[in-house]
Amino acid sequence: MATQFDAIVVGAGPAGTSAALGLAQAGAKVLLLERGEHAGSKNMFGGMMAYCPAPEELIPDFWAKAPWERAVTKRTLSVAGAGSTTSLTFQAASDSDRPAAGAGSTSDKSLTAFTLFRPRFDRWYAEQAEAAGVTLLTSCRAEALVLRGGAVRGVRVAGPDDIIEAPLVVACDGTLSLLARDAGLHKGFKAEQVALGVRALYEMTEETVDERFGLIGREGATQEFLGCSEGVRGGGFIYTQTDAVSVGLVFHLDSLKERRLPPYELLDRFVASAPVAPLLKGARMVEYSAHLLPEAGIPMVPKLSMAGLLLAGDAAGFCYTNGLTQEGMNLAMASGVIAAKVGAEALAAGDFSAGRLAKYKAELKDSFVLRDLATWGKAIDFMHHDRLFTLYPQVISALMEDMYRSDGTPKERIFRLARRAVSGRSVGVRRILADLIEAGRGYA
Amino acid sequence: MIPDELFDLVSYRIHPEAHIIVDQKVCEGCSHRACTYSCPARCYVYSEERGKVDFAYEACLECGTCLLVCDRGALDWHYPVGGYGVRFRLT
Repeated sequence: MATQFDAIVVGAGPAGTSAALGLAQAGAKVLLLERGEHAGSKNMFGGMMAYCPAPEELIPDFWAKAPWERAVTKRTLSVAGAGSTTSLTFQAASDSDRPAAGAGSTSDKSLTAFTLFRPRFDRWYAEQAEAAGVTLLTSCRAEALVLRGGAVRGVRVAGPDDIIEAPLVVACDGTLSLLARDAGLHKGFKAEQVALGVRALYEMTEETVDERFGLIGREGATQEFLGCSEGVRGGGFIYTQTDAVSVGLVFHLDSLKERRLPPYELLDRFVASAPVAPLLKGARMVEYSAHLLPEAGIPMVPKLSMAGLLLAGDAAGFCYTNGLTQEGMNLAMASGVIAAKVGAEALAAGDFSAGRLAKYKAELKDSFVLRDLATWGKAIDFMHHDRLFTLYPQVISALMEDMYRSDGTPKERIFRLARRAVSGRSVGVRRILADLIEAGRGYA
Repeated sequence: MIPDELFDLVSYRIHPEAHIIVDQKVCEGCSHRACTYSCPARCYVYSEERGKVDFAYEACLECGTCLLVCDRGALDWHYPVGGYGVRFRLT
């Protein structure tokens, strides 16, 4: 390629496009590589991301322009036991004229999350980067980083001689983070550090989605489940799209492996389960997808930079759940914006040394990206207890069933009901107290 | 079940060559064969008859599960050549 690039960004997902666009806006000549036939064609996620201000730094009114499906104002957390499901719903107050949804239909957009389709959203976002001068090369697989004198100097794209040089590479190549692994920034992730998400998309009319989930206009709803994964550490989700519903499960990969249960069989049973089946009645499955996501927090975060290289998004391990929120795309976008900022400063100074680019980690530490991963560190660890996914959902179900049971016998106080819900299970009061203390340390 | 309908549910542009190479010699003696039940696209199927794991790359969703559940390093794992493999429409 004759053109000289200042920077090569690998992967046109939310991290890569943010980095490419930010660098281009700072005057850099940027090449954005994407192995899919268009940006987004290889990308999937659960279906919802929290409102994130980071891309608004690059595109004014980003959320009024971006192709999202529904603005989520209603979020339900459900705990599923054998014979019952117990739920808690959060609903943000909305403006009186909710259907006139601009950037989210709630009056407070920081309380909004967006459901969206990655093949549409990522493609649109990459088009904005192209409009800002980024050269987007699709159907192009990055084979390896070009290393010289301990510094990354470019990317090899096909045959051994097909090398594109640039003084700065931003690797946003997804969860497996193969480029960074081959450059020695991490040793390859382990099954216990990632989760597998599987998801099915069900088509139904917009009116049906509105009716079944109690929505008006472009409002959306989500429902997340604990205790629906047959003993595998993981959870389930339902996200409303405009005229479709995404249903899926996410499992810790080590737990899925240990339990020897095929993910699509678990998904089949989840879709047919009592709380889910009525929501999908008569709807047709139109797509199925799967993806790995980083899930171990700070301990899995690789070395984030070296001379000539920055890592962002999933490739940097920036994704987590604390059981209540699931964060990934927002961390990807924010890290991409920060990578662009640090990269642009390096370009201006003509200095791509390890020392200069180490500023990236320092900036991330000041931002919500590494701060949130640190804040929820203990909660992320807490999510790796098997008890949370089988035993406790069953205890909660048993307790709630006793609470609502009306069989002509005298009622008992809650403490006695709780004792009965626990009795006969393989957990003692001490264990429960210890878990409560650990939960307190993780969340309080 | 989903894997039986995969080619109706998912769009692919299939490359003539596999992007993942399974070293059957390394697979011999594997006690768990986790690839056969963890892969979300059921690309790995154990054949009792042949006494080995059959691998078909065509329905691969490119997630990387097999790479991480295999603890013997039996896989030479790559993404498909650019422009090939799975192409999600909406997902």
